[in-house]
Amino acid sequence: MQEIAQLLINGVVSGTILAVPAIGLTAIYAVLRFPNFSIASHATVGAFAGYIANATLALPAPAAVLVGFGAAGLVGVASDQLALRPLRPSGALTSAIASVALMIALENLLRFGFGNDLRGFDLPIMRDWRLGGLRVGPQQLENLGMAIVSMAALFLFLSFTRTGKAMRAVADNPALADVKGIDPEQMARLASFIGMGLAGAGGVLLGLDTSIDPLTGFRAILSIFAAAVVGGLGSIPGAVVGALTVGIAEELSLIAIAPAYRTAVGFGAILIVLTVRPRGLLGERAY
Amino acid sequence: MLDYLVSLLTYAALYGIMALALNLVWGMGGMINLGLVGFYAVGAYVSALATIKLGVPIAVGACAALVLAAALGSVVALATLRLRGDYLAIVTLGFAEVVRIVASNEIWLTNGTDGISNIRGPLRGAVTPETFNLIYLTLMVVAVAAVVFLLQRLARAPFGRVLRAIRDDDQVAAVAGKPVLAFKVKAFAASAGILGLAGSLYAHYTSYVAPDSFQPLLTIYVVLALVAGGRGNNYGAVLGAVLVVAFTESTRFLSEVVPGLQAVQVAALRQLVVSVGLLAILRYRPGGILPERIRPVAIPPRRPA
Amino acid sequence: MGLLSVEGLIAGYSAADEILKGVSLTVEVGEIVAILGPNGAGKSTLLKAVAGLVKPKRGSVSFAGERIDGRAPREVSALGLAFVPQEQNVFPRLSVLENLEIGGYADPAAARRRIPTLLQRFPMLAEKRRQAARTLSGGQRQVLAMAMALMVEPQLLLLDEPSAGLSPIAAERLFETIQAINADGVAIVMVEQNALEALAIARRSYILVDGRNSRSGPSAELGADPEVRRLFLGG
Repeated sequence: MQEIAQLLINGVVSGTILAVPAIGLTAIYAVLRFPNFSIASHATVGAFAGYIANATLALPAPAAVLVGFGAAGLVGVASDQLALRPLRPSGALTSAIASVALMIALENLLRFGFGNDLRGFDLPIMRDWRLGGLRVGPQQLENLGMAIVSMAALFLFLSFTRTGKAMRAVADNPALADVKGIDPEQMARLASFIGMGLAGAGGVLLGLDTSIDPLTGFRAILSIFAAAVVGGLGSIPGAVVGALTVGIAEELSLIAIAPAYRTAVGFGAILIVLTVRPRGLLGERAY
Repeated sequence: MLDYLVSLLTYAALYGIMALALNLVWGMGGMINLGLVGFYAVGAYVSALATIKLGVPIAVGACAALVLAAALGSVVALATLRLRGDYLAIVTLGFAEVVRIVASNEIWLTNGTDGISNIRGPLRGAVTPETFNLIYLTLMVVAVAAVVFLLQRLARAPFGRVLRAIRDDDQVAAVAGKPVLAFKVKAFAASAGILGLAGSLYAHYTSYVAPDSFQPLLTIYVVLALVAGGRGNNYGAVLGAVLVVAFTESTRFLSEVVPGLQAVQVAALRQLVVSVGLLAILRYRPGGILPERIRPVAIPPRRPA
Repeated sequence: MGLLSVEGLIAGYSAADEILKGVSLTVEVGEIVAILGPNGAGKSTLLKAVAGLVKPKRGSVSFAGERIDGRAPREVSALGLAFVPQEQNVFPRLSVLENLEIGGYADPAAARRRIPTLLQRFPMLAEKRRQAARTLSGGQRQVLAMAMALMVEPQLLLLDEPSAGLSPIAAERLFETIQAINADGVAIVMVEQNALEALAIARRSYILVDGRNSRSGPSAELGADPEVRRLFLGG
């Protein structure tokens, strides 16, 4: 019983952190209407940017997350404009394929610059807290907090700013949004910046706990996609729900299967959802 | 030098067969399979294990590889073929990753990340390595020719025409009374079988398989080969594979020109060149160099596939 | 010269298409004009061509003295001509209030001033302002779509089959709303299948058949005409 409680706690923490890049993926899908596989590499870009901020400027974790967000966001806009935007007229599938190529390209740019070595963040080592037999690491909690803060910031942006509402409008009914004067390309750039920025923040959060290398983002790709698909591609609340579901499911799966198969849980979730209820838990594409 | 060329051509042939398999399922059938490398891996492992653990001849191993990969292909197809194109991309990519994870972890079966070595090859050991390579290249060329011949026949046969009709508009085909799902599953399974056969050929050529040989990058190589050669065109698939191998080998010379590059950087450069190459082709020559002969297949297709 | 003047308009959705084969009409300031006709006559296409969603091949469209044919929908809207499509005319997951805000996206300062006026005008919308647009009934959604169009303070409103899919009671309420909007001084061009109701509230009407002008004139006359009655009003 205690074991399950511990797994649940771990699952909630990892799920909340997973939500950050999952929201990024789903936001880009909502506005640009295709699954952007390069989210994995943008997470890695953010992770390396955060690492540099921490290693060379001795910035603490929250600052590293911000740097990761900014760096990945900028790379996201640039990569979309250069590599993916010209292919938009060719449809969602071509864009998806191109995004796989982009993912590999970015990953190898990082590999070219940094090599394959694992690198760790320079953070004070903190002992786990024990609450009634359950273990929680302070770094885990800090990561949890940063994930929640990021999501809250996004929520505020989308709910209360003119630009945020415009982005939701484009996701809801792109043709009508265009007619009412919302510039689709500006929104595409914004979605790329925010979406990939969140991926980058997620990359830092993933790396804070362990270490980073050019494959950091790619290892998480199935989990990120699973979270977004389970919640419903295009739905931001869905991505949060989906991420928590996948995070908890992955932790609970440790009871039955080997740790290496964690990501297979994500794949299984994707398969089940797309077969049984393709729009996911909370997704509904109205238009 | 000759040996180097022989090796290049052998790899070109391997990618060619995979590109042909992709053409069957994507060029003719309109179904994207980003999990190519998963079926390729399955074929390689099955053939390796069959010849080592069960001691069967290589030909039997190759058949087993084909059959098992095709069976797996039908399962995957049945589970996923009602999905939209980009959803199918997600699932097939995930499938390949799961195959790789299984291969890395089921040590009792696959030897995990250490891989399986000492896989037999036809006449290996009985002749010099150079001769073996030449023999194998001949075998590969025959295999490529056989697959091209088969697929051309298939394309002209009713099966091929129905498949293309389904690719272009499967609602119309369904209304015309064709069992769309059955066709799609058969095409996907056949394609998977060909990939499995390619995997088997790979295993017996290199004598070593490990999970790391089956990266998503390989899928990009094959997609690039098909798109460059002209999606929908079987000869284009083979031509594209030759181009991709030549293209990626050029990075080897780049590393000789630019001094001071470490091995990891050369490897990264090669992958970079291939992925940027695909982006460039999708952008500037999406129809490839040899477009489909019967009717021009330009990407975008009339409907997003 | 009227508020809106269309002359000899030829338009279609693709290079080969020619749905409108030479249509003309005028709308005066403050009028309600109805456009009737059988399915496929090109009524919706006519509205879309005026709004800038379909580029005319030949002919002219003038609004308040300016040529507007070929201009983008955003420009046309900025000049005071707002279009309400038949379907997908709201943002379903945004709230009613947010829908109105997006309606006035082009000029946020003006939008802030305009919204209280519109909420007062349409108490139903005020009541539901925090609800998602998809929770509204069909008729309420049409009202919201029209209110969104009114955010830009247009002189002319183009309505594409506003009563489509509505129950008779809801349709009747909607026509009352349309008349109220007109009473505020906004001219209205209305494509309608519901010919009876349309003729009742429109001062003048045009009948389109097969992409061309057929009959036109004061609604009362048309409504009384036995030929028209036979074709469109069930005898």
